[in-house]
Amino acid sequence: MKRNALVFVVLVGAIIGMLAAGKYLDRARKHGPLKMVGDVKGVQAPDFDLATLDGRRVKLSDFRGKAVLLNFWATWCPPCKIEMPWFVDLQKQYGKDGLVVLGVAMDDTEPPKIAEFAQEMGVNYQVLLGTDQISDDYGNVQYLPTTFYVDRNGIIVDKAAGLFSREEIENDIKKILASSHNPGAAQTSRAAVVRAPAPTTKDAQ
Amino acid sequence: MTKGVGTIAAVVLFFGSLGLAQVPGDKQPSVTMAPVGNVQVRASASTSVEMDFRVGSEFHINSHHPKADYLIPTVLKLNPPAQLTVADLKYPAGEEMAFAFSPNEKLSVYSGDFTINAVLKAPANAAAGSYPVKGELRFQACDHSACYPPRSIPVQFQVTVVKK
Repeated sequence: MKRNALVFVVLVGAIIGMLAAGKYLDRARKHGPLKMVGDVKGVQAPDFDLATLDGRRVKLSDFRGKAVLLNFWATWCPPCKIEMPWFVDLQKQYGKDGLVVLGVAMDDTEPPKIAEFAQEMGVNYQVLLGTDQISDDYGNVQYLPTTFYVDRNGIIVDKAAGLFSREEIENDIKKILASSHNPGAAQTSRAAVVRAPAPTTKDAQ
Repeated sequence: MTKGVGTIAAVVLFFGSLGLAQVPGDKQPSVTMAPVGNVQVRASASTSVEMDFRVGSEFHINSHHPKADYLIPTVLKLNPPAQLTVADLKYPAGEEMAFAFSPNEKLSVYSGDFTINAVLKAPANAAAGSYPVKGELRFQACDHSACYPPRSIPVQFQVTVVKK
């Protein structure tokens, strides 16, 4: 009798668990991909040195003290195109508060074609030419768009793979803007990350 | 009792792992080609070869004529041996679909199964024999909320040239 009751309880628990998981996954499918946070959240964003469309060099560390939205995109990516006007607006709206939007173009296309596309889209933020190195450093970025939200100390606060709503993007921007610049904290985190293995997309899930 | 609980735990783990295996963005897009049967062509004649491809579920790729210049079309490149020439390639029309990321702009895509038809021609002086035709299919895939870099898969089949 006691045994049957225990089996019954476990069975009911398992069914409820499976229903909950199914509902969660179904919601995720309808509303877009899951946010990939996990291991990358709280990690020091890898520094980079990338070329801009006009041939200058830009490092992530140049923006220490600013909140950085680092968006990996490509000209052939329709969902990336949806986000771009939002980034334009949000850069205008929050630029004065310290937001810096950086678009990393992962195209094989020639820079003039990327520049033409960016101009057509009215892009008002810096577009950098992506490399295999930066893709690897940020966990083999293959799924576009992918956006990293980096706080004023260079720490990754969130990562979003796939298209998210403007509201979700704006909420993440508010999170990184809310951080206060603390150079000491950034140094500590950087030292910790040197010892940690590079995050991967799978790990991030 | 232990046996009963263990069985239930195994069932829960099995179904749980099925669910977790389908986290969006975790699957890589795939396009596969079905084997092509025997293709035979007479010297100074032509023949049609149907190549069947399958796009992995949950993904789509741009058709050969996507609706915008910035999109990467699906392109088949064949490199036939000297005894054969590619006279024509016929791509299917794309399926016009709207996605969550572009509800107002329909895209022309292939999803599921699609077939590309190649017309191969053998010149009059083609030597009889069996020849490999190699090539690649280049495509760029997306799912419901994101896109993957363009990729290519190898294409290969055998063509037998027979004398008139």
